[in-house]
Amino acid sequence: MNATVIIIFLIIVAMTLVITYFAAKRTNTTSDFYTAGGGLTGWQNGMAIAGDYLSAASFLGIAGSIALFGFDGFLFSIGYLVAYLVVLFVVAEPLRNLGKFTLADMINARFDAKKVRGAAALSSITIVIFYMIAQLVGAGALIQLLFGIEYIWAVLLVGVMMTIYVLFGGMTATSWVQIIKAVLLMVGTVILSFLVLQRFDFSILEMFAQVKTATPHGEAFLNPGVRYKIPMDTISLMLALVLGTAGLPHILMRFFTVRDAKTARSSVMWATWIVGIFYVMTIFLGFGAAAFVGSDLIIATNPAGNMAAPLLAQALGGDILMSFISAVAFATILAVVAGLVLSGASAFAHDIYGQIIKKGKATERQQMLAARYASVGVAAFSILLAIFAQSLNVAFLVSLAFCIAASANLPVIVYTIFWKKFNTTGAVTAIFTGLISALVLVSISPSVMNPEAGAAIITGTPIFPLTNPAIVSIPLGFIGGVVGTLLSKEVDIKKYAEVKVRANTGGFRQL
Amino acid sequence: MSKTIAGGKARAVQVKGTKGSKAVKGNAGKEAVPDFNAIEASAGFRELMKKKKAFLVPVTVLFLGLYLLFNIIISYTNWLDKPFIGDISWVWVFAFSLFAMTWILVTIYMKRAEKFDEMAKDTLKEFNYDKEENR
Repeated sequence: MNATVIIIFLIIVAMTLVITYFAAKRTNTTSDFYTAGGGLTGWQNGMAIAGDYLSAASFLGIAGSIALFGFDGFLFSIGYLVAYLVVLFVVAEPLRNLGKFTLADMINARFDAKKVRGAAALSSITIVIFYMIAQLVGAGALIQLLFGIEYIWAVLLVGVMMTIYVLFGGMTATSWVQIIKAVLLMVGTVILSFLVLQRFDFSILEMFAQVKTATPHGEAFLNPGVRYKIPMDTISLMLALVLGTAGLPHILMRFFTVRDAKTARSSVMWATWIVGIFYVMTIFLGFGAAAFVGSDLIIATNPAGNMAAPLLAQALGGDILMSFISAVAFATILAVVAGLVLSGASAFAHDIYGQIIKKGKATERQQMLAARYASVGVAAFSILLAIFAQSLNVAFLVSLAFCIAASANLPVIVYTIFWKKFNTTGAVTAIFTGLISALVLVSISPSVMNPEAGAAIITGTPIFPLTNPAIVSIPLGFIGGVVGTLLSKEVDIKKYAEVKVRANTGGFRQL
Repeated sequence: MSKTIAGGKARAVQVKGTKGSKAVKGNAGKEAVPDFNAIEASAGFRELMKKKKAFLVPVTVLFLGLYLLFNIIISYTNWLDKPFIGDISWVWVFAFSLFAMTWILVTIYMKRAEKFDEMAKDTLKEFNYDKEENR
């Protein structure tokens, strides 16, 4: 670890802490804490969504995957981007029009029942925990590599810092950390892409021609099939990616930080452009790393390819660029994990404590305290799990989180907005069928059961053949909602007119 | 009403308090709740839902369909592995057209949604709910 790394790193950390200080002074109510007072503008929230979305898995993981597997590494990006159309067309506006702090609020606009709120909070917390362990495990491995400190200290460093942001600055600090991080990430990626293209005389054709000879895969590198070989598995995974985003609690939560549906819509537009342009540039990063670093060195530094981007930065721009990219990667992890802590804490403090235990009668002070305790609790719990989960595959955990989000959260959101006959039993069964089927199928899948000893948690033949169960569990979640609704004799259509009018007009928001 | 504006950020409790009185004025009913059934049944709202569905349903089917088609083709066949220009094969072209599709559909929707907003506003105006609640 050299002095430049430390200095650039400290500048970025100091910058984010200054923001947290100012944000903390403005965070007095639960509304400030959970939603930054609902006052973010479209571009601010769009940048923050992009910040939340472009995790270390996107930045370091996709660049590395492209460097090692070519087109197959890029495949994830397509699903991650197209997913924004589902967010824009299906969830963004109704969510803003109906909800207040959490997904459960939105569903409860129609069904005022504790069991529905509890179920929604539970699925949100489950998703957040899986997603967070993935980020922390990745962060630990990365910080360990970048700064040469031990894994456990690396996880603690990230964990403690993100807790500070959330605890003191709430959503205001978290949002601004995300915005800054999104800008830094874009700047870093543009510089790297420019340097890569320069080496190929700004010819994309030349880049494709040269990279083919630079990798051990040769011609196959430029076409699908290097990494994903089982068709049904690929399709299942891609389904989880495209439908999962619209159910991720930390993305959904971002729609409560804007004042109306119009701003929610424009934030999705901003996010779509930023995320899309970023993913296009990951091709230059990946191809550049394959050509100028070489897969041997990338694999030797980190078998999953996570260090491809920092190594490329070093190869093209020396220590300073490498330090900058590493510091950006660190800021990326912090921002994403802070957003996750906040969404987990809101499900605990707002839904379970505030609405279910205290029946919505907690004072503002009690709610703030609960939110802060919940943040510390969620953070501590995830840090602890991450320390024990060091050997788990990060990509597997992330795709599992997407799968649960698509199977448990998306059906209930869609039915709440669009289905007249949907009722409380249907809502609870939709959430639980999606959640349980995703978890059970994964636990009997090749990701958990592998005949090869040591390759997965359990040694044995997998009962369910696909690594990602989305193609089965998403339909099950939707069917669960229908079966639950039709089996119970409840009729809830009276409230539907109200939900329909409010969701589609944006009127009567806080009734 | 003025309370909400003065507060800047719409706080739930305040809005609720002011909305009650407003709703009574705009609504002949005895309760302080707007008549959602009447709004839902109104011609303006019906037209809004019709227009929205006419746009969103086909477009959603289209983009999810193309996305799935792409994944099925690259998973089960080698059709797209043929070169487009130089070493760039058709698979990259299709992938980028999905990127372009996303940006185009987002932009089109932004334009469309302005019209939907307009229609929603008109409908609410008809029922005298176009003031601070409609934000």
